[in-house]
Amino acid sequence: MQGTKKRDSWGSRLGIIMAVAGSAIGLGNFLRFPAKAASNGGGAFMIPYFVSLLLLGIPLMWIEWTLGRYGGGFEHGTAPGIFHSIWRKNRFIKYFGVIGIFGPLVIFIYYSYIEAWTLGYSAFALTGKYAGITDQSGMQAFLSGFQGLTKNQYFNGLGAAYLFFVVTFILNIWVIYYGIKGGIERLCKWAMPLLFVFGVILMFRVLTLGAPDAAKPAWNISNGLGFLWNPDFSALKSAKVWLEAAGQIFFTLSVGIGVILTYASYLSKGDDVVLSGLTAASTNELAEVILGGCIVIPAAFVFFGPLDIQSIARSGVFNLGFVTMPLVLNKLPLANILGFLWFFLLFLAGITSSVSLAQPAVAFLEDEFNISRKKAVGIFALVTFILCHAAIFWLGRGVVDELDFWGGTFFLVLFATIETILFAWVFGMENAWDEIHKGADMRVPKIYKFIIKYITPLFLFCILGMWFVQEWLPIIFMKGILPENKNFILGTRIGLVLIFLTLAILVKIAWKKRKERVV
Amino acid sequence: MNLGGWVFLFLSWGVILGLVLFCFGKVFGKKALK
Repeated sequence: MQGTKKRDSWGSRLGIIMAVAGSAIGLGNFLRFPAKAASNGGGAFMIPYFVSLLLLGIPLMWIEWTLGRYGGGFEHGTAPGIFHSIWRKNRFIKYFGVIGIFGPLVIFIYYSYIEAWTLGYSAFALTGKYAGITDQSGMQAFLSGFQGLTKNQYFNGLGAAYLFFVVTFILNIWVIYYGIKGGIERLCKWAMPLLFVFGVILMFRVLTLGAPDAAKPAWNISNGLGFLWNPDFSALKSAKVWLEAAGQIFFTLSVGIGVILTYASYLSKGDDVVLSGLTAASTNELAEVILGGCIVIPAAFVFFGPLDIQSIARSGVFNLGFVTMPLVLNKLPLANILGFLWFFLLFLAGITSSVSLAQPAVAFLEDEFNISRKKAVGIFALVTFILCHAAIFWLGRGVVDELDFWGGTFFLVLFATIETILFAWVFGMENAWDEIHKGADMRVPKIYKFIIKYITPLFLFCILGMWFVQEWLPIIFMKGILPENKNFILGTRIGLVLIFLTLAILVKIAWKKRKERVV
Repeated sequence: MNLGGWVFLFLSWGVILGLVLFCFGKVFGKKALK
């Protein structure tokens, strides 16, 4: 143990629950979930969804909370140190832990930029900048102009997007600068209730829409909900639907990133992880299934009808959030206010996630190099500010998609698989079971001993294998990438390798220093 | 929305609201706010 400075800690139990829930609740809860459910069996999608929650999501949540608190006991807040604490005899395991810093860092690079769009659109909603746009192509042009992909009557460059990015970036750094208790916990304690208030207002507005066009009585809210919830049991025979449900659970809970490990490392040894982890997961589900399931798709159905909704549901997260939703809200009274509520809700969901993505890198510098928080945040700010420019200026070249694939998909599933094996098989299920229950306010059902040891890793191997063959191989071999963009994708990959190697070298230096101190 | 849709909607809502109430009930019951 280094022991030269006291580690930060959470101020209250509600603080860490809100922070983990805030990290998990993101744009995907309101945009990805309803689109996936509507396209994969409607109400029947909830069967594989809840099965995945029980067999994959909740076990992984408990594994990460427990590993994090365990590592925190050795003053390690990130995966290299935590993995090393679990398997001291293996000198390579700490390098697998690099993924737990690399992943969130890479996601932060593009996520903070997308978060800036939500802040920008909040301002545009209030000022009525897109108020006159009434069709999909107009709103799409507005988005492309804002992103700097085209110059048009709405925007003649990246200036506005860059300005909102700088504001968002400073806000993130400001929160992280004030630490766990004074920054992240304080933010999440007001942002999360506000997010739910905004979500409930929007949900009630959508549910009371009725049939706004008297000439089209079938375009009503009941049928809109039906589009999302009417079960199609034949979908359950498709492996793809089960895989989509497992993927949704995986991505929605923020597991496999390394963020929960870091957050839980600031707990004390006697703090509960069982009930807190379950509470954070259920708060995320509340935002996803109840709020997320009642806003975007039903509202779009009411205004665009049963034919267009099919293509809208498949149009992707950005189209749903930044094209369809503002068009829908523009048709309602108080459009400015409702538009602001929608985009600021997304901004709150975004900032509570992005600060969590920044924390592992900052904690790594603090814990392993024994430097002050201010210095660590300064280094993080400088490095990520430079790296974010790749996402800003090369968005149209596919750089964000590439970063999302490696940081937000590939390494995420790999990392979750590694930590599950470490926890259940290396640490040992008996030790793991004792560790989970230290200070626990409730017992984990005994069946989870079996689930965590056999079912969760098997589930993860299946996801890894099937995704690798069906979806990842074409991406790895750049299938479908325009020839003029291939150099940018290759450049991004080289950049990612360099980031990974730099982090691995830093781990090596930190352990060397640690060894010298012990000697 | 057909009957199956309503059943799935209310079942999903019921499970999640039940879980949230159970968890927060236990958390606040244990004086979570130190």
